[in-house]
Amino acid sequence: MEVVDHETPSLENGKTDKEVEENANVLQFMDSMDAYLTLIHSLSSTLRRGWLELASARHSMGASRVNTVLLDHTSHPAATSLLVTQDEGKVDSGKPHFTLCKWASSSNENSLLGEKQSSQDKLHPQLRHRGSTELYEEKTSSENKASREVDDPVQKERSKSLSMFGTLVSPKLRAAQLSFEAALETLVEIANMRSEMLCAFDQVNMKLAGRKDEK
Amino acid sequence: MANRVQIPTSNSALIAMIADEDTVVGFLMAGVGNVDLRRKTNYLIVDSIKQIEDTFKEFTTREDIAVVLISQYVANMIRFLVDSYNKPVPAILEIPSKDHPYDPAHDSVLSRVKYLFSAESVASGRR
Repeated sequence: MEVVDHETPSLENGKTDKEVEENANVLQFMDSMDAYLTLIHSLSSTLRRGWLELASARHSMGASRVNTVLLDHTSHPAATSLLVTQDEGKVDSGKPHFTLCKWASSSNENSLLGEKQSSQDKLHPQLRHRGSTELYEEKTSSENKASREVDDPVQKERSKSLSMFGTLVSPKLRAAQLSFEAALETLVEIANMRSEMLCAFDQVNMKLAGRKDEK
Repeated sequence: MANRVQIPTSNSALIAMIADEDTVVGFLMAGVGNVDLRRKTNYLIVDSIKQIEDTFKEFTTREDIAVVLISQYVANMIRFLVDSYNKPVPAILEIPSKDHPYDPAHDSVLSRVKYLFSAESVASGRR
């Protein structure tokens, strides 16, 4: 005959709700730590590529043309910045969230332009008929034109950033610029993962401290 | 709720750098360089330890900086300062450099959390 005990807390596979929550915190901590290390590894390879491309550019352009002496020391704002918000995921998280704003003012305009172009294409789908090849080419060229228009301000910002090294720069220098841009994106992910890891660590630590006090 | 840390939010915060020449030049090409009206920059190409200490203290107290990138070998020179820093913003990220690959054993964030994996912490939890 089974006796049902209504006083014990609800069990899930023999574990209390409290234990399930603790396990979830530990798992979150381990996951964020794993992601942090993976992102660092990815950053290392991206930076290595960037350094190699920079060294190649220095070799082709000459050391005097790729030099810190040429850096712009006049007053100017950063073209790439961060948006910092408070993560509202949990009430007491106190965790910052970072968002990268690359080539700041130009990228905001570009995203709006790109969205507008794609929504127009969806509203007016092209029917297939005789001469569809020409139509396809026209559509492709108009899409390319739109993407070029979107990319132009960003390209202008990129060229402006490289202008301190001269008007004509090595393709390797442009490639290095793109590599370091990619590294920046990874760094922002690392910053977010870091704050997630520390938040999960604090949760686990609090539980451990609470357990010690109980004993 | 009473102990919730208030995060200083910003919509145009800077990324500061304390690193070697190639790393700084690379990130400047990516557009993170900022020079204010007083000709103060958000980057330092490492030279002397004293300068690194002063710059680290400056960057971590500026309100317009959200992330500080520091080469790990540079962070090792001022390890006591980096490890004692515990604010959420600006976030300190240790990055590899050309001649010094990243070592997770020296990362200040991982050092802070590694004690969870030590035998002592496991044993104390079981008592």
